[in-house]
Amino acid sequence: MPILLILMLVLGAVGLFLALPGGRADLSRLGLLVLAIGAALLVAGLTQQLAGEPGQALFAGCSLVALLAALRVVTHRKPVYSALYFVLLVVAVSILLVRMQAEFVFGALLIVYAGAILVTYLFVIMLAQQARPAPYDTRSREPLWGCLAGFVLLTQVAAYVYRRPASEQAAVLPRVGGDAILNVATPLLTHYVVGLEIVGVLLLAALVGAIAIARRPAATADEGED
Amino acid sequence: MLAAHLLVGALLFALGLVGFVTRRNLIIIFLCTEMMFQGIILNLVAFGRYPLEGPPTFDGQVFSLFLIAVAAAEAALGLALVVLLYRHRGTLDAGAWTTLRDE
Repeated sequence: MPILLILMLVLGAVGLFLALPGGRADLSRLGLLVLAIGAALLVAGLTQQLAGEPGQALFAGCSLVALLAALRVVTHRKPVYSALYFVLLVVAVSILLVRMQAEFVFGALLIVYAGAILVTYLFVIMLAQQARPAPYDTRSREPLWGCLAGFVLLTQVAAYVYRRPASEQAAVLPRVGGDAILNVATPLLTHYVVGLEIVGVLLLAALVGAIAIARRPAATADEGED
Repeated sequence: MLAAHLLVGALLFALGLVGFVTRRNLIIIFLCTEMMFQGIILNLVAFGRYPLEGPPTFDGQVFSLFLIAVAAAEAALGLALVVLLYRHRGTLDAGAWTTLRDE
């Protein structure tokens, strides 16, 4: 595992600790700056590994945007902005998927996540909007331990990913031919058709459950409390 | 190639994890789980596109479609619960709901 990668992860952990709300309030801008530099260096290093494959610039740009948006989702003090940065994250990730010949997942991700799920989130955030930033948004819980846990997890994953030398890792493969939709639909509707049916049942159950929970009046929910 | 995509996915997952344990707003906690899903989707598709042996397959993309459906179900149920909890106590602080905690 490259030593530079570990250094960048350390940089990221320190920057995230500084940038998290309530970690060190005055230093959050400095933390964001450190994070931005660390993310840019990391993406530059990763892009070098893609040498010889088309779409290098696309990978660099989209992964940088995705990482920065993800950092803002975690560190922003206003929930509405967090949700909007999440939309940016979804767009960047879905463009990364197009690069890997996943056009159908790209469309599904954009429509379901950026379109449906995030609009629901925004509705709920606006429903529960406070006049001023709430104390639970301006102070985070145990930022030091949280950053440490994320750092340990990342170093473990990175050590595992890089335990093989680069020459042994998967080679650049040509694009698969055929129709983009057909390539996904054929396994989905033949090999995984039982799973598809189960997912349909799951969605129906979630729909019924969500209606049952949301229709419950607050008065009866209070019974048996206090 | 594979390692670069895996690392970006792992970074998204770890950021989501850090946000999940440190933020106190219930809605942001849910957003962070969705962020972890994004990292996983990226990993699944990358494993399908750059397999360690054999030709590229589309099974990873099928799995990520299942994941999107599960995430939609989770968001619907989770947000319904958050709305219920908010009507109950008038706050989104996860620390306000510690009655189930083992003291």
